[in-house]
Amino acid sequence: MSTDASHEVRPAVDSAAGRAARTADAAGHSPEHHGGPRRKGLSERNRPLWMLIPGGALMIIIIVVPLLLGIYMSALNLDQYTLRKWISAPFIGVENFVEAVTNSPLLHAVWLSVSYSLLAMVVTLPLGIAAAIATQNAFKGRAVIRSVFLIPYVLPSFVVATVWRTILQPGGIMDEALATVGIHVGLWLNGPQTFWTLVLVQIWASWPFIYLLALSGLQSVDHEVHEASALDGALWWNKLRYVVFPYLKGPLALAFLIGMLHHINNFTLPYVLFGVPAPADVEVLPILTYVTSFQSFRFGLSAAMAFISLVLIAIPLFVYLRAVKLDDAETPGAKK
Amino acid sequence: MSTTTASRQRTATFEVDRPGSHRQHEVLRLLPTPLLIFVLVFLGVLVLTPVLYIFLASVNSDIGVANGEFWPSTVTFENYSKIWTSVGLATGLTNSVLVAGATAVVSAAMSISTAFVLVRYSFRGRLTILRGLLALQSVPGTLMVLPVFVLFSSASTYLGIQVIGTQWGLFVTYLTFAMPFSTWVMVTYLRGLPKELEEAARIDGASHLGVLFRIILPLSWPGIVVSGIFAFLLGWNDVLFASVMTRPESQTAAVALQIFGASQEGGAIPYYGQMMAAALVCAAPVVILYLIFQRYLVGGLTAGGVK
Repeated sequence: MSTDASHEVRPAVDSAAGRAARTADAAGHSPEHHGGPRRKGLSERNRPLWMLIPGGALMIIIIVVPLLLGIYMSALNLDQYTLRKWISAPFIGVENFVEAVTNSPLLHAVWLSVSYSLLAMVVTLPLGIAAAIATQNAFKGRAVIRSVFLIPYVLPSFVVATVWRTILQPGGIMDEALATVGIHVGLWLNGPQTFWTLVLVQIWASWPFIYLLALSGLQSVDHEVHEASALDGALWWNKLRYVVFPYLKGPLALAFLIGMLHHINNFTLPYVLFGVPAPADVEVLPILTYVTSFQSFRFGLSAAMAFISLVLIAIPLFVYLRAVKLDDAETPGAKK
Repeated sequence: MSTTTASRQRTATFEVDRPGSHRQHEVLRLLPTPLLIFVLVFLGVLVLTPVLYIFLASVNSDIGVANGEFWPSTVTFENYSKIWTSVGLATGLTNSVLVAGATAVVSAAMSISTAFVLVRYSFRGRLTILRGLLALQSVPGTLMVLPVFVLFSSASTYLGIQVIGTQWGLFVTYLTFAMPFSTWVMVTYLRGLPKELEEAARIDGASHLGVLFRIILPLSWPGIVVSGIFAFLLGWNDVLFASVMTRPESQTAAVALQIFGASQEGGAIPYYGQMMAAALVCAAPVVILYLIFQRYLVGGLTAGGVK
């Protein structure tokens, strides 16, 4: 099943060879079979694998153990009274999952998270691409403009959220500015429009990420390609459409996946922008999970919600892991 | 071809970039000039207006901000002296610098040795580790915060080690969550280093550690800086773990600002000026770091392909 997926993302892989290389690598005698000349001398003897221990131990204790703990906790009836002695908390099987799906705002939160992430992505993509195209050619002051474009990306999320919270106060600068052109939007930080507020602020904060990856894609366009399209007298629109955009597909697909993961996982922005308890229309997954734990003290239910959101995140994550090239060509097991 | 004639009038303003720049610019041109200027101005205004507003509001009176003034009617800098105690930024910034700084140093040191082994040696499970690093990078914090909190409180219940409420708990958490990305950055960087020097050193009888310290380390400063800065930013920007695992005396600046902002609800006029001044002070170190190391950071980011 997993090999099928790899076909789609990496059509160049000869599946038989790839599988053979993988098996060889898994069997652990790769150096003799695939290793380049540099590995011959220092292969099996005394590899300093102990250097992996500190990092590995840390990740096992702080990530893997808590992950398993979280899964176990999702089957417990855990509240503020049983939390201290969680080991002896009553085991209730799948009840938390049943409650999360049937009797909690979880499905609504999933819908909010996915739709807000997609909406923000749909707007940031063209903004980032336009910015990359506009700053691709050298002109006076380009370095300054590139730095300016990255500011929203560099600012910490909690700063961005604090600032927009002030800008969007009722009667604040945004309302005042819109009133001068005769637009009255109503409340930004409360009520049904909060969803759009979240989308707007997320767009402001995350388009530079798309810009960065689009820029790296543009830099891979060969100079000859520019020459050729100039000789053909291609109009700028056609040149962009047929000559440049094909180069951007890879980086933008990557940007899309990482951007979606980042939006879906974003806790700080909605948390600081709206505070908790958040308005119902911005109760996205991270906020709901957090509030269920640390406001309602339904720890078991919250663990079940977290587990369900992990399944949701696994979809883009899986595609991403399949698409990223793990290894360079000359390393054993590299699929090239 | 009308775009070409239009561009000829503007070529004087472009700096020389490649040999034969006049023609090159027409060849490389992607957008007609008016559209290009529109895009630049639109995005520039979009970014700079809120940024300028942070500063203007931080020197404005709270009433002025509440009434929606952009340009302050009265200018005062006293917000910048109040925030150290009112927001608690003095404690907050000290804790943030301590925790994020320690995270940066330790994670850079650990990631270079991990990446060294992953890049230069082959062993069973190497690809699994590489894939695992990428996957762990995307594990959401909200998923981890409750179990990590429970794990740490169990450490005090069952082992008598107090972790919650100390800077140590935060440090260990940030270090762990910074490791996957820092290591991945170092893996990408070390792959670009030539192997000849290492081989020469080995032939001269250098040990593994000798190669790491004498050969790899001096060549890797750009990579170390990038992975260190990303680890620093992870600690500096985090609100989630810090809001759950700190007490007032171990609070980071991010949590101090968030709590100050949230506590303004429902009162008279919120202290907008102080909020904006504190926001600016919290953002300043990050922006300065970015400006100094911009070139490395952008390169490292696109190489890792990760936020």
